[in-house]
Amino acid sequence: MTPLQHYLALATILFFIGAWGMMARRNIIMVIMCIELMLNAVNISLVAFSNYMPSPVPGRGEVFVFFVFGLSAAEAAVGLGIAIALYRLRERLSVDELDGMKG
Amino acid sequence: MKAAAILIPLLPMTSFIITGLLGKRYFREKSHYLPVAAVAASWLLSMFVIVQVERGETLSWQIYSWIAAGNFNVDVGIQIDQLTAVMLLVVSTVGFMVHVYSIGYMKGDPGYYRFFAYLNLFMFSMYMLVLANNFLLLYVFWEAVGLCSYLLIAFWYPKVSAANAGTKAFLVNRVGDFGFGLGVILIFVTLGTLNYTAVFGHAGDIGTGTLTAITLLLFVGAVGKSAQFPLHVWLPDAMEGPTPVSSLIHAATMVNAGVYMVARSSPLFFESTTTMFIVALVGTFTAIFAASIALVQNDIKKVLAYSTVSQLGFMFAALGVGAWVAGLFHLVAHGFFKGLLFLASGSVIHALGGEQDMRNMGGLKNKIKITYWTFIIGALAIAGFPGLAGFFSKDAILEQVFLGGYWYFWIVAITTSFMTAFYMFRLIFMTFHGEPRDLKAFGHAHESPRVMWVPLVVLAVPSALIGLALGFPPGAGHIDSFLRPVFEEVLGAEHHFGLLEGGLMAFSALIGIVGILAAWRMYVIRPDLPVKTGARFQGAYRVLLNKYWIDEIYFALIINPVRALSRGLWRFVDINIIDGFVNGSALFFRGVGNLFRPAHSGKVQSYLFTMFLGLLVLLAAYWILTL
Amino acid sequence: MEFSPIPFYIVSALVIICAIAMIYFKELIYSALSMVACFMAIAGIYILLNAELVAGAQVLIYVAAISILVIFAIMLTRHRKGDFWLFFHRQSVVTLPFVVVAGIVLTVVLATAAYDSSEEALNPPDEEMARLLFQDYSFPFEVLSLVLLVAIMGAILLAMRERRR
Repeated sequence: MTPLQHYLALATILFFIGAWGMMARRNIIMVIMCIELMLNAVNISLVAFSNYMPSPVPGRGEVFVFFVFGLSAAEAAVGLGIAIALYRLRERLSVDELDGMKG
Repeated sequence: MKAAAILIPLLPMTSFIITGLLGKRYFREKSHYLPVAAVAASWLLSMFVIVQVERGETLSWQIYSWIAAGNFNVDVGIQIDQLTAVMLLVVSTVGFMVHVYSIGYMKGDPGYYRFFAYLNLFMFSMYMLVLANNFLLLYVFWEAVGLCSYLLIAFWYPKVSAANAGTKAFLVNRVGDFGFGLGVILIFVTLGTLNYTAVFGHAGDIGTGTLTAITLLLFVGAVGKSAQFPLHVWLPDAMEGPTPVSSLIHAATMVNAGVYMVARSSPLFFESTTTMFIVALVGTFTAIFAASIALVQNDIKKVLAYSTVSQLGFMFAALGVGAWVAGLFHLVAHGFFKGLLFLASGSVIHALGGEQDMRNMGGLKNKIKITYWTFIIGALAIAGFPGLAGFFSKDAILEQVFLGGYWYFWIVAITTSFMTAFYMFRLIFMTFHGEPRDLKAFGHAHESPRVMWVPLVVLAVPSALIGLALGFPPGAGHIDSFLRPVFEEVLGAEHHFGLLEGGLMAFSALIGIVGILAAWRMYVIRPDLPVKTGARFQGAYRVLLNKYWIDEIYFALIINPVRALSRGLWRFVDINIIDGFVNGSALFFRGVGNLFRPAHSGKVQSYLFTMFLGLLVLLAAYWILTL
Repeated sequence: MEFSPIPFYIVSALVIICAIAMIYFKELIYSALSMVACFMAIAGIYILLNAELVAGAQVLIYVAAISILVIFAIMLTRHRKGDFWLFFHRQSVVTLPFVVVAGIVLTVVLATAAYDSSEEALNPPDEEMARLLFQDYSFPFEVLSLVLLVAIMGAILLAMRERRR
């Protein structure tokens, strides 16, 4: 059977790919997609732990994944709503041009 | 009884709130309806309460627990006994009459509603002051009446002198109140309670030194509030306020609060011989000191103000020698006839269109007859003319001072008594007799409206008769038996009225009449005499006219040095050090802010990167720590 | 039962390649399609992990719902065409070494650590999962539905065209 460590390595790599994308890409929709990617990486680790580590209630890790699903769906809906509203307001979607909070 | 007791203060309070909030917009020149009605109702209730107390019923009622912090417990409560009843009699009657009188006196004033609102607030505070059952509540309303006094002295605040007089009264009172506050704190520290009954029950347990300290501190409060030397300076200036205020607050009620407080604390004062002697000393000295100033003043209200200071000195002298009942008797009598005198002087001022200088008056006795006759009754009462109120009350004091062995105080007091008669009739002769000196004002002079002279007549009745009603026969009158329960423990045995007492009484009556005759001779028969006398004793005259330069001494010793010090502190410490510190810290944080400002680029992804680095640092730290 | 490790390597390679492709594509629609592929591959990982219910939900929620949302957002907005630096930050060059080094270090740390892992798969069958989700955790589940409702209302409010006054 594939060891737990392999799954964790996959999750970590996926997480860092998402993190870099989030810092590197300019488009706000792209940023949201990268967040989804990072959430998926976390989900993989949760399911993997749930499958490999003994627990008094088997499957609890998986239940947690469902809640992450729900929250990420909510986040995507609101995030994309903001993206569309922003686009309508500014005709721009570049995160680095939205620096109204500059100190 | 309970309902009456709580309603007495609450009615004026309610009226104050309603009039104060709505008066300006809705009541305007009708502002007096509600306040006068409220005070009238309070007066009726007070009379009811007094009758109940007369029947032997007293009240001690804890309404609710106000402060309960650890062992610091203070209740809001009402205590009604014979002493409270006596105070209620003066406060409610004079208060009611002054309210009625103000309707006429303040007519057309732009602050009409405000005046009545303040008066109601004062009535509430004064009622609570005498009804309170513990020292903290007493202190709170002690301050409240001080506030009302300030508000009403400075009632015509656009006038600079009025505003200054208000401030002066407030500041001088602070000195006294500070002492009073310390005294209350010391009581609490010593006994752990502030309730009258509990404190007086343990009066004997306090050490002599502590007790003297407590009573002296309390007396400092009384000196401030009752305008005794050396804190008397505010009262003459307080005459800047409207005359009804002078009558109510600065003659009949608030200034008596000090006397009331000392009498209320009689179990404490009684235990300390030192304090008692100081009280008597200060009282006697103030009596003659103020009376001597009153001899030469030319402002009609100033004469009455110094007279008030002097009479309050009499009361303290009485309390100091242990003549508690006599002191309170004089308080009641003085409350009535001094209230009357002030209202009558207000009527004179009103008649002359605001003139207060007696040198511009004269010959008014046929123009304003009611005012003249009521004034005569008040003046005879204060001068101790046989049969009138002051005769009995003042003689009770003089007699007890003499019998107590304080013959030196007696000499001073009897001299004061002569001066009192003299300056009061000097005032009358200058104002009402002789030739009119200011013909223009004289021509316009007219009797006040009925709403003003009716209170004069009403107050003239007790001024004339209260001595007979309460103080006859001397030493065993009604007031002696009435107040006896309050002072049971501190009062000596009743003494009999004998030949010596009769002689003293006759002598002081004679002194009073001599004073009146002396004034008659100087101001009616030989009008040139005062000027000559003044010229002959020029030094003494100038000292008196300038009120012993007490104000100037205060300016030189306290006010100017403090001012100079403040200016110095402002110029150097405040501007350079304090402001420097404040501005310096502002500059420092602005600099630090500028330093970190580039970090706030507004670019979300730079923040993100920073966050990411932080995460890495945390992970590294965790890893290193768990290695 | 003996599993071969080969399927895991194939699927995880797919996941990583799709993820990198998603970041790399300049055209947003390609990125979105790569994302869909990536999510499908992750569903495969869940199946390998004995979590069929999660795999199904992954397909429903990510591959269907969220992807559709993203694609709609892309279609509702216009996009510029241009060279590489129009899509990437200058700072991406700076961040890349950090991310790579940190990623490698963390991967190595996690992959070499020892776990008390069991030898057999512990994820319960779907019936047990359903019981957990709808009985033991029914209250958080309901709260989550409320959160979703609020989020949808918020999204609608945000994206709604403002009425002309």
